[in-house]
Amino acid sequence: MKKNSAMLIAFVSPAALFFIIIFLYPILRTLLMSFFRIEGVTDSFSKWQFVGFANYGKLLGTTLFRISMWNLFRIWLFGGLIVLSLALLFAVIITSGIRGRSFFRAMIYLPNIVSAVALATMWLQYVYSPKFGLLKSLFTFLHLPKLASIQWLSNDHKFMALLIAYCFGMVGYHMLIFSSGIERISSDYFEAATLDGANRIQQFQHITLPLLKGMFHTNITMWSVSSVGFFVWSQLFSTVTADTQTITPMVYMYMQIFGAGNSVTERNAGIGAAVGVLLSICVVIIFTVCNKLLQDKELEF
Amino acid sequence: MKRRILGTAVAILSGLTLFACGGKKEEAKTEAPANAQEKTDEKDTSAAEKTEASSDGLVYWSMWEATEPQGQVLKEAVEAFTAETGIPVDVQFKGRTGIREGLQPALDAGTNIDLFDEDIDRVNKTWGDYLLDLEELAKANDYEKTANAGLINACREVGGGTLKSIPYQPNVFAMFYNQEIFDKAGVKEVPKTWEELDAACAKIKEAGFTPITSDDAYILSNFGYHLSRINGYEKASEIVKEGKWDDPSVLEVAKAYEDFAKKGYFSEQIASNVWPAGQNQELALGTAAIYLNGSWLPNEVKDITGEDFSWGCFSYPAVKGGKDGVEASNYGAQVFAINKKSKKAEDAFKLIQFFTKGKFDEKLSQESLGIPADSDNKDWPKQLKNVRPVMEELKTRYPWAASAEDNVDMTPILKENFMKLCGGSITAEEFVANLKK
Repeated sequence: MKKNSAMLIAFVSPAALFFIIIFLYPILRTLLMSFFRIEGVTDSFSKWQFVGFANYGKLLGTTLFRISMWNLFRIWLFGGLIVLSLALLFAVIITSGIRGRSFFRAMIYLPNIVSAVALATMWLQYVYSPKFGLLKSLFTFLHLPKLASIQWLSNDHKFMALLIAYCFGMVGYHMLIFSSGIERISSDYFEAATLDGANRIQQFQHITLPLLKGMFHTNITMWSVSSVGFFVWSQLFSTVTADTQTITPMVYMYMQIFGAGNSVTERNAGIGAAVGVLLSICVVIIFTVCNKLLQDKELEF
Repeated sequence: MKRRILGTAVAILSGLTLFACGGKKEEAKTEAPANAQEKTDEKDTSAAEKTEASSDGLVYWSMWEATEPQGQVLKEAVEAFTAETGIPVDVQFKGRTGIREGLQPALDAGTNIDLFDEDIDRVNKTWGDYLLDLEELAKANDYEKTANAGLINACREVGGGTLKSIPYQPNVFAMFYNQEIFDKAGVKEVPKTWEELDAACAKIKEAGFTPITSDDAYILSNFGYHLSRINGYEKASEIVKEGKWDDPSVLEVAKAYEDFAKKGYFSEQIASNVWPAGQNQELALGTAAIYLNGSWLPNEVKDITGEDFSWGCFSYPAVKGGKDGVEASNYGAQVFAINKKSKKAEDAFKLIQFFTKGKFDEKLSQESLGIPADSDNKDWPKQLKNVRPVMEELKTRYPWAASAEDNVDMTPILKENFMKLCGGSITAEEFVANLKK
């Protein structure tokens, strides 16, 4: 038994040490930082000022932070519905034996391998341009002057514009996860259902969907994690200064840690840490709810 | 079960040991704050010595990208400097965000960095504690003899009364305009007051052009300038920082812009222009006449405007009964600074001189269409010839956006409402009411 313990320690220690250094220490430090006022993110502990829950209080009382949380919620919910619905639809089509499936799969996945900066520039400077944009030209061609005159990047439409552009780039990734899930389902089930007289929709409803529970769980978790870290697209849609329609908690955190825009503004890495803690709590809640709602243990295939 | 307990125990023990080690280190610092600096200095000295032993050169962290005109000229200057002095220089092009996010952690970690550069305010205010006082080096090298006195004073002012940074690539934030449109519209004199700007815009509109445009990145400066023209910067900043939106001057600014919006002086796209749409698709393409922006603008749009674009520049107009006039603006520079822990401060200063004097200052100015820092370099790029009188007239310095972006929690809200005001979708009263929500 002694020998076994030594072996156990020898094997577990490196992994445990790395886990502690890379994950546990930053988590604990961030949690600790959220109770202090800290100007520079790497300031020594002697410069930290204990403020208790004041950082959290300030965050909850700040309109801009509440706006950023609302934007995040909207991105997560509406974006999630759009992306996961389209991803599922495309996955079903692509795995249905359609001709040229590899081509379509590659096309749908393509935006994932293009840089977000290039994609955002295309959307901002071309698709949404009120002067010569794709949408303006399209609606003008269709004799829909009201739609052609929409300023897609004005405050009233900017969130929608951002969401469409972001979702465009995200569908392919989630489609791949869904299609791998569908391909795992044995064709025997579909053949049997066909023999029993079930049509495609019934097969999808009663076979594909229930057997994709695990994939839904994975996709929702991945979507939630990437939504919580929503930053680059927000920055690209509002360069230099943040925008009420595109700001997310990560952008707010950045502004608190590194300063906002070109101005030299007050910094507080403690507030940044508090934002991080709140976001982590959100992810844990979503993960727990998903685990409860989408348990696929009872299904084995 | 025992194994699980043992595994967990090992993990916890390792964690506690690690945390305890970290704790001790922090404790040592907390115990003797007075000696903390000394201790850190000692530690850094030994680290620096070690690095020095491995390399005799300078380490320069640059805010530019290697592909930008500024990056290319600085790289060329570094090569010439090494050839002339025999001092090798390791230039690391970090870019704007790279240096903003990475410099302070690197300095805290004792990374060997001798000199770095960034905006005058960020270097002096955010990183002020890491800077070497350059007064003596400047004196010993007679640096100020051919330096821009106004900018050196600005560096002293933001450096807390002493020279901690050396300016280069001076810039001014002012109204840039298309001279050709002004000529076609019959605007002969640059506007010096808000009323004169009103009259000029009326003529420009009459001539079939868009008088004023902007982008989301810069539009708030209009609000800041106007508020500071009325109140002076200090009071304007106080209004923004403390949310004193009931101050009558806020409504006064809003009324002025509401009036311009009603008269159709702003671009139809002003409420939706995401940078660089306004500057590229309107000003540079010659459909809009005026844009409040920095003197880097001609460089940014030179590929669109071509060589023949005739640039004009005037200071943001004075307003009736205002505290400040055209002599006040946001002006500044990028600045070089030396890490106070650098062991090669003299060499670093030599390199700064190499960058900011004579041949390479001139080259930097020509290649990046920037303003020279060396007063002996009399030839400004032709695109900036009208910037010179504006610069020479300046006496009061506003920080970036002249107060409009001083409150990090309000900037996006202010921007949203100001863009709506300029776009004509809300009134001046609604603008103020929305800020108070």
